[in-house]
Amino acid sequence: MSYQLTIEPLGQTLEIEDEQTILDAALRAGIWLPHACCHGLCATCKVQVREGEVDHGEASPFALMDFEREEGKTLACCARPQSDVVIEADIDEEPDAEVIPVRDFEGTVTRVESLTPTIKAVFIRLDEPMHFQAGQYVNLSIPVPGGTITRAFSLANPPSSGNEVELNIRIVPGGAGTGWIHESLGAGQRLSVAGPYGRFFVRKSARQPMLFMAGGSGLSSPRSMIVDLLEGNSQQPITLVYGQRSRNELYYHEQFLELAGRYPNFRYVPALSHEPEGSDWEGYRGFVHEAARACFDGDFRGHKAYLCGPPLMIDACITALMQGRLYERDIYNEKFISAADAQQAKSPLFRNI
Amino acid sequence: MAADGDRKPAKKLNLKENYALLTRGLGWEPSYQKKEDIFRTVDFEGVKIHDWDKWEDPFRLTMDAYWKYQGEKERKLYAIIDAFQQNNGQFNVTDVRYVQALKVFLNGIVGLEYASHRGFNILGRELPGVGPRIAAQMQAIDELRHATTQIHAISHYNRYFEGMAEFPHQFDRVWYLSIPKSFFEDAVASGPFEFIVAISFAFEYVLTNLAFMPWMSGAAFNGDMSTVSFGFSAQSDEARHMTLGIEVIKFLLEQDPANVPLVQKWIDKWFWRGYRLLALLATMMDYMLPKRVMSWSEAWTIYYEENGGALFSDLARYGIKPPKYADVTVKEKHRVSHEMWSVFYTVRDALGFPIWLPSKEEMDWFSEKYPETFDRYYRPRFEYWRELEDKGTPFRSSTLPKLCQVCQWPCLYTEPDDASEFVHRQGEYQGEIFHFCSDGCSDIFHDEPEKYVHAWMPVHQIYQGNCFKEGVDPSAADFNPMAAALDYMGIKPGVDGGSMRDHVDAQRWESWTARPANMHEGAITDAVRKTT
Repeated sequence: MSYQLTIEPLGQTLEIEDEQTILDAALRAGIWLPHACCHGLCATCKVQVREGEVDHGEASPFALMDFEREEGKTLACCARPQSDVVIEADIDEEPDAEVIPVRDFEGTVTRVESLTPTIKAVFIRLDEPMHFQAGQYVNLSIPVPGGTITRAFSLANPPSSGNEVELNIRIVPGGAGTGWIHESLGAGQRLSVAGPYGRFFVRKSARQPMLFMAGGSGLSSPRSMIVDLLEGNSQQPITLVYGQRSRNELYYHEQFLELAGRYPNFRYVPALSHEPEGSDWEGYRGFVHEAARACFDGDFRGHKAYLCGPPLMIDACITALMQGRLYERDIYNEKFISAADAQQAKSPLFRNI
Repeated sequence: MAADGDRKPAKKLNLKENYALLTRGLGWEPSYQKKEDIFRTVDFEGVKIHDWDKWEDPFRLTMDAYWKYQGEKERKLYAIIDAFQQNNGQFNVTDVRYVQALKVFLNGIVGLEYASHRGFNILGRELPGVGPRIAAQMQAIDELRHATTQIHAISHYNRYFEGMAEFPHQFDRVWYLSIPKSFFEDAVASGPFEFIVAISFAFEYVLTNLAFMPWMSGAAFNGDMSTVSFGFSAQSDEARHMTLGIEVIKFLLEQDPANVPLVQKWIDKWFWRGYRLLALLATMMDYMLPKRVMSWSEAWTIYYEENGGALFSDLARYGIKPPKYADVTVKEKHRVSHEMWSVFYTVRDALGFPIWLPSKEEMDWFSEKYPETFDRYYRPRFEYWRELEDKGTPFRSSTLPKLCQVCQWPCLYTEPDDASEFVHRQGEYQGEIFHFCSDGCSDIFHDEPEKYVHAWMPVHQIYQGNCFKEGVDPSAADFNPMAAALDYMGIKPGVDGGSMRDHVDAQRWESWTARPANMHEGAITDAVRKTT
């Protein structure tokens, strides 16, 4: 059976199985809790149980003291719930994070547009509006022949667009879900989505210049975040470095040119990595991290950076940012940590990136 | 109360805010002394720190809570040690060879905990940032606790076995114990940032798992619950120490680009120094534990190549490269324990513990674990030595070994690409010639020769006549310099070193337990034969 686990100070609630450890449930939900040995000896994952009952499992008597058990402490790596549980963990509070309960929404597809040869924009009018933070994602239920499968997609529209949500979906060769969307989905189809999910959002209260780095089909969240910021009259300098292989894949290029013309604090830097020699492209040729390095002269200090794109691009961007002296506390990307990640050889140098 | 009825309850503080309020104002700005007069060594190494507040205190532990934790750990540990003693637990370990490993621990490693206590006390005084200063102070107390509890956990064995009674005296005088001693003295005699990179990062973080492997798992495998409990009690402290190592390295690298080459140099140096120190553990894992946990080669693969690989690939983002000569450690992992046990065997008369040749069962295990080297290089050697023992003419070395000027090991290692050739490296400084066991140690010397020419080299000191007790007359007709030097070190010829077959520990073990002193070789006394 399953219980509800609430993690303070985030205020986030998630499902946990009675045989699952608190650490495992949190990591699978994308919430990083401090941990190290993962078998009850080092006490790095000690948390306070505020409400409910847990079984301390294999926690060592030298790592979880008797007086701590009496005070309601437990080791997240060994503790299993015996009721609904509220814990408080030693994680930083995010003043900009909103706690929005996940709900199911029904809606009707209004139109499907081709953005590039491999990416389609699907517009869905929901029966009731969804409140979310720019950067979050939804799980879309896809009615493929033989059943329903769910796939996660970032919301490409800003939160202000009312009932209509936009998802940009790249076809995955041989993929059942994206294949059906590209080949069979049309206006009038009823669909259901669950959301909003994820902890990728703009740290507005930091009041620092922002750098967005996007590539591949990772433009959705940065686009939603940037439009939301500009609509909200953000006065901070905002830069988008946006990379694709070639000009015909550079979707929403015109919209960003238009925004850059309208908002003096928004700078748009498109970069193409494989554009044919001799084409009329006058922008940057190269990868996103190279374009960013050129445009900031290799010095990223004082920024907040938000990254979205394929893993190799993310990795190259983090390296470029750190070489430009911007470190983990100012770098954000949407990352899923699974329990399997916690098992493999991984250094504890970085927590979130 | 009614008047307050509408007041919203204050927002509950999270752990971080709570700690900030608990500790605010505890670090203060000096008003009548200049900061540079108070923190005299912080600029000495060229490290640039712009903002100590960027130090993220990873522990958020108050002194009040610290005492509570440590108090309970002590209570539990001593309850287990008491039970162990009342049950004569010392006789429940696998065999008496395990006790020899404990001797090495007590004589060689406990002194390091105390040296570490001293080093962290110095940091607790010298670091201007409040967060790292508190962390260093707590670690200084931890290290003192570790030294104390190790002595208590092991000292019970001292009532039954030879060679443990004089451990502080021996730590300062015995020729091979200068290896661990000089390692820590090198660290303590460095600047504060080099010390913390050396001990908290290179040693505690990168290499400490390898120390826990043979000790804690080895103790558990061999039935020593007293030492296992010490291990559990220490491991919860070690987690804090390792986190400190990681925080230190991130903090230094993020504060200023000028710190990157300094940190790189210290990682290169202390990785190599730490690795050479651990060669002792390699030997203990492979040769001294009657029941083995895993081979040194396997441990190095998991704990350095895999875990360390993940760490250094993350550190690459800061511009840090894997330690210099890491490739040599991977080549040496197939050899180091065998080379060292061979040297111990040949100088067994000058050791504080007896030595034995590996049994057939053990050599077969080595053949399986070391397929590239054991049968080719070491099996024939051990078989030949056993033959000589059986003939009554055992091989022994009668001269003192040449020591490396940096790590102080005998120059017993072989060329990285040729296991049949000893490494001979030498260098000159101010007209004197110095010897090294490796390119790693040679580089360290040549970076700071003025430091290492001061090293107290035991073999040199013996030859110079500085290792005899007061009143000894080297001009006397019956003067035996070897016996006099051993007497100075506190090693009793015929009692402490020599061969396990003839050793008093082995004979007593068999008469007290009626079990063979070496479970792989069968009994050596009638005490066992009679009862089995």
